[in-house]
Parts: sequence; structure tokens; C-alpha cells
Amino acid sequence: MNVLEVNELGKIYSTKGEVSYTALEGINLSVQTGEFVGIMGPSGSGKTTLLNLLATIDKPTSGSIKVRGIDPMRLNDNKLALFRRRELGFVFQDFNLLDTLSIKENIALPLVLEGKSPSAIEAAIAPIASLLGITAILEKRPYGVSGGQKQRAAIARAMVHEPALLLADELTGNLDSKSAKDVMGSLQDLNERLGATVLMVTHDPFSASYCKRIIFIKDGRFFSEIRRGDNRQAFFQQILDSLSVLGGNFDDVPFSRA
Amino acid sequence: MTFRSLALNNIRGNWRSYAAYFLSSVFSVFIFYLYASFVLHPDVTDGKIIHAQGVTSMMKACMYLIIIFSFFFVLYSSSAFVKTRKKELGLLSLFGTTRRQLRRMVVYESMAVALLSIGSGLGLGILLSKLFIMGLSTLLDNGAPIRFAVPLQAVWLTAGSFLLLFLVISLLTAMTVGRSQIVDLLGDSRRPKQQPAYSPMLSALAVLSLGTGYVMAYFLTSKLFLLFVMPIIGLTVLGTYFLYTQLSVALIRLLQRRKGFYYRRTNMLVISQMAFRMKDNARILFVVTILSAIVMCAASTVYVFQKIQRDQIMDYSPYTVGYVEQGEGNSVMAPAEAEKLLHEGGARIAEKTSLQGLLVEKLQANELGWSEENSITAMMVPLSEYNRLAERAGYPKRTLENGSDQSASASKGSAFIVHPYASSEEDDNKGEGLAEGSVGGKPLRLNLDSSAYGSVVSSQAEATWLLVVSDGLFNSRLQDAPAEALLHFYGFELEDWENQQAAVNNFLQAVPENMQDQVQATRVSYYKDMRQTSGLTIFIGMFISVLFFIAAGSLLYFKLFTELQEDRSQFRSLKRIGLTAGELRRTIALQVVVMYLAPCLVGIVHGLFAMKALGTLLTQPVWMYGLAVMGMYVVMQSVYCFISWFMYSRSILRETAV
Repeated sequence: MNVLEVNELGKIYSTKGEVSYTALEGINLSVQTGEFVGIMGPSGSGKTTLLNLLATIDKPTSGSIKVRGIDPMRLNDNKLALFRRRELGFVFQDFNLLDTLSIKENIALPLVLEGKSPSAIEAAIAPIASLLGITAILEKRPYGVSGGQKQRAAIARAMVHEPALLLADELTGNLDSKSAKDVMGSLQDLNERLGATVLMVTHDPFSASYCKRIIFIKDGRFFSEIRRGDNRQAFFQQILDSLSVLGGNFDDVPFSRA
Repeated sequence: MTFRSLALNNIRGNWRSYAAYFLSSVFSVFIFYLYASFVLHPDVTDGKIIHAQGVTSMMKACMYLIIIFSFFFVLYSSSAFVKTRKKELGLLSLFGTTRRQLRRMVVYESMAVALLSIGSGLGLGILLSKLFIMGLSTLLDNGAPIRFAVPLQAVWLTAGSFLLLFLVISLLTAMTVGRSQIVDLLGDSRRPKQQPAYSPMLSALAVLSLGTGYVMAYFLTSKLFLLFVMPIIGLTVLGTYFLYTQLSVALIRLLQRRKGFYYRRTNMLVISQMAFRMKDNARILFVVTILSAIVMCAASTVYVFQKIQRDQIMDYSPYTVGYVEQGEGNSVMAPAEAEKLLHEGGARIAEKTSLQGLLVEKLQANELGWSEENSITAMMVPLSEYNRLAERAGYPKRTLENGSDQSASASKGSAFIVHPYASSEEDDNKGEGLAEGSVGGKPLRLNLDSSAYGSVVSSQAEATWLLVVSDGLFNSRLQDAPAEALLHFYGFELEDWENQQAAVNNFLQAVPENMQDQVQATRVSYYKDMRQTSGLTIFIGMFISVLFFIAAGSLLYFKLFTELQEDRSQFRSLKRIGLTAGELRRTIALQVVVMYLAPCLVGIVHGLFAMKALGTLLTQPVWMYGLAVMGMYVVMQSVYCFISWFMYSRSILRETAV
């Protein structure tokens, strides 16, 4: 079953009286339940635009998106917010955890907003926290834990309400290689053990090697697609080869957004 | 782009956060100019206006107050501004802006705001000074209206004082700029805040000191007032401080522990952010609370004094016009004539009364301090007449135990004295004892019952003190009293007496010169004087109160907008998670409401207890007026609260659109 169905998606940025800029054009994509898909491309290829469109925080100028058969573009703002809350989970490069809440409360947030009972919330947090190895830090505040732990907490928050699709944006961009490895391993676990559907945008070939399928885009268009075999190391090499074919700059991982 | 235009653009870009600060500055300049324009008004400096002396000194005091108040307000605001713009300043230094240039920019900016607010404040002041002067004229009841004038001196004084004030503060602020490292400046907004902590001891102390203060205020008696008033104020201030810095956090922690409540939808967001907000703004909330309590108490006190003075005037002169005549015939004026004169003066007689009495001479009563050398004269009246008049004046009726006994030595209580002042009742001396005197040359010996307090006739001349005896005794004395021992009192009550000065004057002019002392017709003029002074106090104080309320609202508004940057990133994350616009507005609304109404409500509770104590002290309930002031305050804060909420949620929603 297809969780995500993207059809001829296009986005043109234009302001009155100025030259318009085509960020995305004719993107077709379908993601099935339990898939782990990576999207790669050089700077300015339209990765972030695509993710923003999928995240429903930006609107396409052409084409359609369907998540579990629902077209979010047809919803009004209020319903759209609820849709995001229920069907999508987000993980960002800069974590986006709320400083005012403890790690546990941060994870609980989507359920709390849904009006779940405290006992149900506690029951939902426990397994995912232990799966991600953050049970020990649940009572701590975000500023008191490491970057890797923050990102795992953010993943827990994105998954605790069992969304249809987890969207991740450069989630290892702010992490050192050890933490990045831990976080990607956790994400893989989630994907394999709980069958979570993950769509990840990344620059980093190492992180991308955890995916089962990678779609390359260039200049806003579909470029190529590769699938992973059994060996991650081999897949990593395959990704590097594809990137060299793709060309463009890959060494420009941006600083964290201030 | 020149350097100066950079500074101006900074203001333009930040106008939302500047708005409240600007408004308060404009208002301070406005009020200052109003007062200055009156103090320096040509008619006032020429001495054409009576009463101007007192008003002028009051206004001068207020002007100092405004300047001092504005100094702290502007100082606080501009240093807070610089703090919120650390990142921007860091960026500018990174580009190689020198420290000197940065300082110059800060000075330019604040001078631009200063010039703008001085200009607007003066403009507003000149426009509205006519209204202000009209209001004052009405209160001063000055025959000729004060003319409209723009005293240049006042304009210069206002502009000069505020320019100096802004300059000093901008220089002070500029000194603090550029001292820190660029890295610190740039990274400042990303440094996470520590979880607000509280001490259980200090929270308990807050409860304890507030509770003790309240209880003491509630049970305060006038005897203990002086002893307790300082501890009560001290405890309340201390309690309020810890209420915001400690107890509020403690209460929020308590709420957080109640999962059923805390985990209910947006409660979690609101409450967890509230802890930070409370702790960050504790000092402002504290200051606003204390000041609002003071403003409310001061306003109520002025009103209460006015009311008490009125009651005292009414108490002392139960009739608008009253006079006492001795002997046969009409030495002062025939009552019909008086009525006619009052009528001609434009008054309508609401009530008239007459009372016949006898002159008691050489009245001695040791208990009352009237010795042989120190004896007084009094008017002897029968009990039934006294009771008739006492009922009218609202005093209790009296009885005399032993009706008509003349040889008073054997019995108790065959007469009593009536004091002219109701307020003397608290004296310990009840006036019981023996009294001696003479009526028409014949001696009189009576045993006095405890005295009555409060005039039932105009307490003037022979009628200052009344000696009430039984009807039988009075009649027997009346029969053989000589003509010169006869006393007659006539009293007139006028409709709408507050405005009948003309009628009273008309009457007074017809009273023979040597008989003026027999007349009491001072009520109207006393009342007018009293109204004028307290009315002016209220009028002038009102502007100061409004100034304060606006400043209080502005400080909170300002604080809110300086935190906008941090909040924005929070709300952006929340929006991505799927917080709806409605939920976001509600979350913001709750926080804003608590920020604005917490000091308002705590201030009101303080005010209520203070007024309870004040009421006990003045033996008058003081609620009505205090409640009116509170109502005004609540309304103003609510309006401010609503505007802030609207502006704030709009700018958050707009900024987090993507």
C-alpha cells in the first residue's frame, strides 16, 4: 500500500514583477508502507522545497500529493494542522525541542495536543523511549543532554503518535560522526522493527547509506534512483558513485540555522 | 545609506516593540506639558487666579514625580532594547563597525524617538490644554474663565527637560554597548535558559508574610494603627516579591505534577512556559503590583477624606442657614423675612424649623471642665423638642429617667448636655455629674445624664451647647422667665443647597452688622472650599494615575515583545508539529492574560485589605470609590492586554507562516 503518492509535483517561486524561479518540476514519487527512502541532490536541487511541500508547510503550484489517500492541499488551515499532527512526524536538523519542557514532555507533546489520557501517554512513551535508548534521560531538559540524545528524543516525538510518514530533514547535520551513527542506527531500528515509513532528505552519503532506496534530484527534477542490496558498505560506495555522476557541490552542509 | 538612516531604519523595522514605549513617553511629555502650561500660564503668574497657589505647588510636585518616573521608565526600556538587539549589534561589530559608531547609532536612535515623542507629546498637550484648563476652571470656580494660552516657557521647559532626560539615558545606554565579545553577542539568543527554580522556604515565607499582613490589616484597629502599619506594609511588599519570584514557580510545579490537568492539550505548553515567564518578569510584575496598590489606596483615601469632610460639615451645621435670637422680638431677622430673602436669592426652602429655648447662664459642670471661672452659656430646651430635631438629624432619641424633679440632688439624670461635635463622642468623659447655672437670675441645679453628641441646631452663639431637660421642668421655668432669657432658634434647609451661595449671601447682607455672630450660614462656602481642594487633588492625581497605568501596561507590552524572538522559534517548531492557529492563539492569550492580570488582581487584593484597614481607621466604609478606581484599572489593563495579545499573536503567526 502506498503511504505517499506524489504526482507531477511542481513549485514555482514568483513575486510580482520579478523573474520567477522554478524550484521543482514534474516530481513523481510513491512511498510504500515500511519503506526507508532517502532524497539526495546537490545544493539548490530542490530537496528542501520538496520536503516542505511534503510537510504541508508550503503549497505546490502544480501536481498533487496524497498521504494515505488524503490530499492535504484540499484541507483548510485548521484541518491541515490537525493532519500534520496526526499523519506526519518531523525530525529537523536543529532538533526543535522546546526548552521549556522536559525530554519526556517534548515526546508527549503530540499526544497531549490530541487530548490523550495521561496513562495512555505514559504507556506510549515507554516502549519508544527504550527502543531509542533514551529512557534514562526522560526527566532531563533538552539543554542538559547531548546532540545525539536530542535528535533521538526528536525522533521519539515524531514517532510517538504513530504517524503515517516520518519526514526527516538533514537530521545528522548537527551531529558528530559517532552520534550520527547512533541516530541513524535508531532510525533503522524503528523502520525495521516497527515498520515505520521514513522519508529523509540528506547531504551526507553516510547517513543516506542507511536508506533502502535513494532518489537523486537535480535542478528540481528527478535524476536517478538506486536501491540498496544487503550490504550497507557496498551501498555507500554506490551512493558515492551516483553523486559523482550527479556532480555539483556536496561539501556545503550548512551551519545550523541560527 | 548613511549611518543616520541606518539608525532610523532600525526604528522603523522595530516599530511594534517601540510602539508602547513611544506611547508612554508621549503621554509623560503630554501630562508634563499640561501641568507646566498651567503653572506658567500668564493668568496664574500674574496672580489673577485665586487658589492658584496651592494648585501650582501640587502640580510642581507632580512634575517632579513625572520626571523621576519617566527617568526610570526610559532607562529601563532602553537598556532592555539594547539587550534584545545583542545579535544585531554583534553582527554590526562583525562587519567592522567600531564601538564608537555603535554607540553613536544607539544615541541617534534614542534621540530620534525622543524628538518624535517630545514633538507628539507637546502637540497633543497644546491641543488638549484648553480642555484641561476648562476642567480646572470649573473646579476652581473662578469667575472669569482661564483663557487659552501657549506659554512658550512651558514649551521650552517640557522640551528641554525631556531632551535632557533622553540624552542622559541614551548616553548611559551607549556606555553599555560594545563591552561584550562579539561571540557572546551573536550566540546570546541561543543560550538555553536554566529551568526556573524555587525555594520551598521562601515560598512558604511568601504565603506566611502575605497571610500575616492581610490578617493584621483585616483586624487592625485605630489604636494599633501606628504600631502595625509599617509591619503590614513591609510584610506585604516582601510577600509580593517572593510571591512572584518563588511562590509562582512553586505553584506551577504543583500544577505540573497533576498529570490529569497538565497533560490536557495546550495546558502543558502554557504552564511550562509560564514558569519561565513568571521568573523572568518577576521584578516587573512585583513593581507593577505594588504601584497599583498604592495608586488605588491613594485614590480611595482622597475620596474618603472628601466624604468625611462633607459629613463633618453636615454634622456641624445641620441647617444651611440658622440663627439664634435672644429676647422678645426679632433682633436678627423675622423668620418670614429670612425666608423671603432666601427665596429672592433663588433658593427654594426645603424645610424650616424653629425652636424655643431658655438662656442658661454661668453653667458649671466639673465633669465637663466648666468651673466657676470657666462657666459657659447654653440653651435650655425641652426633651420633646430635642427628640424631634434629633430624629431629623439622624441621632437617637433620648429619654430622661426622672421627669419633672426640680430638686435634682436626690435623683439621677434629669438633664443632659448636647455636644456640637459628633466626633467628640470617643472622649472618655461622658459628662455625667452635677451641673449648676441660672436661668433668668434663678439658680438651677441638675444632675446630668451622659451627654449627647452632634448638633441638632446650628451650633452658634448661645445655641452652641444645648441643655436638654424634661418638658415639665422647661415649662415651669419658661413661665417665670424674664424676656431677656428667651432664646429662639430658626433653621432653614434649602433645596440643592450645594449651589445656593447667592441666596445665602442675599440673606447674610440683610443681617445687622452686630448680629452676624448669631448666624450660622457657612455650610455652603465650607463645602465649596472642600470640594475645590479635594476635587483638584483628584483631578491632578487622576492624570498621574492614568500615566502610571499606561506605563505599567507599556512595560509589560514591551517585555512581551522583547521576548518575541525566542518565542517565535518555539512557535515555529510547534506549528510544524501541527499546532493549529486557534490553539496557538489560545496558548498566547492565556500567557498574556496572566502577565497582565496577575499584577492587577494581586494589586487589587492588596488594595482591598488596605481599604479595609483604612475603613476601620476612618470609621467609614471606603469600598465604593476604591472599587471604581479598580474597575477603571481592570478595564485599562484588559484593553492593553487585548491589544498586546492581538499584536503579539499576529506577529507570531505571520513570522511562522512557513
